[in-house]
Amino acid sequence: MNNKWNSEKSLFLSRALTIASLCTSVASLFCIPVITEWYDAVSDEEPIHVVLNIVLYLSAILGIAALWQLKKLLDRFAKQEVFIAENAVCFRKIAWCCFGVALIWFVLMYWRFLAFFVAFAAAFAGLLLRVMKNMLEAAVKLREENDYTI
Amino acid sequence: MPIMVNLDVMMAKRKISAGELAERVDITPANLSILKNNKAKAVRFSTLEAICRELDCQPGDVLEYVKDE
Repeated sequence: MNNKWNSEKSLFLSRALTIASLCTSVASLFCIPVITEWYDAVSDEEPIHVVLNIVLYLSAILGIAALWQLKKLLDRFAKQEVFIAENAVCFRKIAWCCFGVALIWFVLMYWRFLAFFVAFAAAFAGLLLRVMKNMLEAAVKLREENDYTI
Repeated sequence: MPIMVNLDVMMAKRKISAGELAERVDITPANLSILKNNKAKAVRFSTLEAICRELDCQPGDVLEYVKDE
């Protein structure tokens, strides 16, 4: 019996984790008001549950959009469609979702400075994804050139 | 592309079908179609050599430089 870890199993794990994250994110939408009210109750600072609700809902929507793109990307990987222009578009969309989250949390810094760290992490993730998108675009170009060399 | 592949003309002159040429040159009919329809980005010397050998012609007979407008 072949129990060795391989790329197929790795891809399955990635897809399973993405779907689990997607389900968790959708479920978390229902818990956001409870979380923000709890935060205001334990926080010593001025209550911001309305602002926090808006920030968390917008972030969750962008997060779900990014996870949906990630799911599409992994579905294409499973079909051996790796170096195609559509995947670069997926990376670009995910990067913009990250930049969107960064912007939202940057605004939250007006009320809570600690939001800076979330904004920075999201912006950094967005930047990395943009670089990956540029790399994938270059790879698509190389593959096309190779495919059309007779 | 400023480089045009005029395979059709030479194939007609030599009275050879696309399928037969593909077989003799040892490339797939799909790749020969890419070449014939000017969709190719590059041609290997080995492919060009085989085409010239089978069609009994010079590279200039199948390749033509057309100035970009």
